[in-house]
Amino acid sequence: MIQLKNVSKTFPGKNEVHALTGINLTIPAGQIYGIIGQSGAGKSTLLRCINMLERPDAGEVWVAGTPITSLGPRELRAARRQMGMVFQQFNLLNSRTVFGNIAFPLELNGMPKKDIRKRVEELAELVGLSDKLEAFPRQLSGGQKQRVGIARALATQPAVLLCDEPTSALDPETTAAVLRLLQTINERLGLTIVLVTHEMAVIQEICHSVAVLEEGRLQEAGPVTEVFTRPQSQATQRLLQGFLAARFSLPQRQPDGTFLRLTFLQERANQPLISRMIRQHEVEVNILFGRIDQMQGSPFGMLLVELRGSPEQTAAALRFLQENEVEVEVLHQ
Amino acid sequence: MNAAALNLLWQATQETLLMVGSATVLAVLGGLPIGILLAITAPEGILENSWLNRLLGAVVNLGRSIPFIILMVAIIPFTRKVVGTSIGTTAAIVPLTVAAIPFFARLVEGALREVDPGVIEAAQSMGTTPLQIIYKVLLPEALPGLVLAVTVTAVNLVGYSAMAGAIGGGGLGDLAIRYGYQRFRGDVMVQTIAVLVLLVQGMQMVGDKIAQRLFQRS
Repeated sequence: MIQLKNVSKTFPGKNEVHALTGINLTIPAGQIYGIIGQSGAGKSTLLRCINMLERPDAGEVWVAGTPITSLGPRELRAARRQMGMVFQQFNLLNSRTVFGNIAFPLELNGMPKKDIRKRVEELAELVGLSDKLEAFPRQLSGGQKQRVGIARALATQPAVLLCDEPTSALDPETTAAVLRLLQTINERLGLTIVLVTHEMAVIQEICHSVAVLEEGRLQEAGPVTEVFTRPQSQATQRLLQGFLAARFSLPQRQPDGTFLRLTFLQERANQPLISRMIRQHEVEVNILFGRIDQMQGSPFGMLLVELRGSPEQTAAALRFLQENEVEVEVLHQ
Repeated sequence: MNAAALNLLWQATQETLLMVGSATVLAVLGGLPIGILLAITAPEGILENSWLNRLLGAVVNLGRSIPFIILMVAIIPFTRKVVGTSIGTTAAIVPLTVAAIPFFARLVEGALREVDPGVIEAAQSMGTTPLQIIYKVLLPEALPGLVLAVTVTAVNLVGYSAMAGAIGGGGLGDLAIRYGYQRFRGDVMVQTIAVLVLLVQGMQMVGDKIAQRLFQRS
C-alpha cells in the first residue's frame, strides 16, 4: 500500500539535522502499522513524507501505486484527498463547529450540502459525537477533539489514515478509547493506518506491525509479536526495557543468584517449561513476577525469575530455555 | 450651550464620522489584500516568497514612516487626481486612506500569522489550494483579530482626522483648533474633546464586543 524507497531528509541550518537517512519501508494494505522511536528519531518526519507535508530530499514514496514524490501540485492535492491525517494537537478549526470541521474536507471536494449533512451525521455516529455537532472545539475535551479529528480525516473515505501521535495529548483512559476507535475503524473500513508514537503500550495495544526508528535510521521492522519478543536492535531493546520495566517491575533487593527475564510466545506460553527445567537441571527457581498478556490475540508470557545453582547447572538451564525458544535476558548475574 | 455652538459641534462630528468611516472602509478594502500577501509570503508562510515579502514590507514601512501631516500635503496632486479637489472633507479622505492602508495591512498580517500553523497544515493535508486556505482557514480563524484590527485602525483615523483641518477637511479636531484654541473658546475645546472621547470609547467598545463574541463562539 505504502512504499518508501531510500527516503532521506535533512533539515538545513546551523545545526543540520539528518532527520531521515535511507529509509526503506513497505506498509501492507489493511494493517495498523506503528512507527516508534524516541523524540527526535524522525518518526513524525517519516509520516509527513507520506503525504508530502515534508518533501524528502531523496528517495521515493509510493501510495497505492502512485509515486507521491513526483506529483505536481494539482495531482498532489488530489492524492492528499485519498489520505486522512490525525494530529497530536488535533488541529481543528476553532471558528467552526464540530459539524463544520467534519464537513470541511467534504466542502473542499464540492459535495452537495444535503449529502454533506448525511455524511457528517454518519461520521459523528461512528466516532460517538452525534450529540456534539453544534459544539465548538473550545467546548470539547481532548478526547472529543481527537474524535472530531478522526471523523474529519475519515470524511472523504480515504484509503490511508496517517496518525501523528494521536494519543500523546490525552490521558490514559481517553487514550484507550481513541485506540479502540482506531482499531474499530481499521477492522470495519479495512483502512490502512500508519501510527506514529513514542509509547510501546500503544504499539502493543493495536498495531499489527511496527518499525523502529533511531536517529533517522530504520532499526528494524516486522510483526509486533516478533519485534517485541525477539528484538534485533539495541534501539528496540532500549524501548522495550522502559516499557517492560513499567509493566513488570523489578524487585528492589539484590538477587543472590542469576536474575532472568523470560519471554514466552504463543504456544510456548502454554508449556510447563519451568518445571521441566527444574527437574532436568536441578536448579532452584524463585519466581519473582509473572504475567501473561495478549498481543494481537496470542498469549505473550513474561516471567522474572531468580536461578540458583552451580555455574554449570545454571549454564545448562539457560541452554535448555534457549533450545525451547524462550527469549532469555540475563538481568543480573 | 447655545444653538449655534451645538450646530457647529454636530456638523464637525458628522464630518469626522464621514472621514473616519469612509477611510476605514477603504483602508480595509486596500489593506486586507496587502496584509494577506504579507502573511502568506512571509518565511514559513503558505506561499513563501522572500523577494515579494521584502518589497511589500518596504513599501508598507515607507507609508507608515511618513508623518500624516506631511503625507497629506505631499500627496495633494494625487488627491486632486482622485477626487478632483485637494480641499474639503472628501479630499481629506484620500490621505487618510493612504495612511491607514499600510497601518491596517500590518495589523492584518499580525492577525493572520497568529493562526495556528497546525490548523493550516491540517488543511493542507486535506488537499486545499492556497486560495482555499486563505478564505476557508486563515480569514475565518483570524476573524476576531481582524475585527480588532479594524477597530484600532478606525480609532487611529480619528486621531489623524484631527489634522484634516490643515486642508480644510473640517471635523472635530479642526473645530477644537479654530474655536477652542485660536478663539480662546475653552468651552468649545472641552465639548469637542468630550465628543472625541465618547466616539473613541464607543468604537473600541463595539469592536471589543464583536471580537469577544466571535472568539467565544469559537
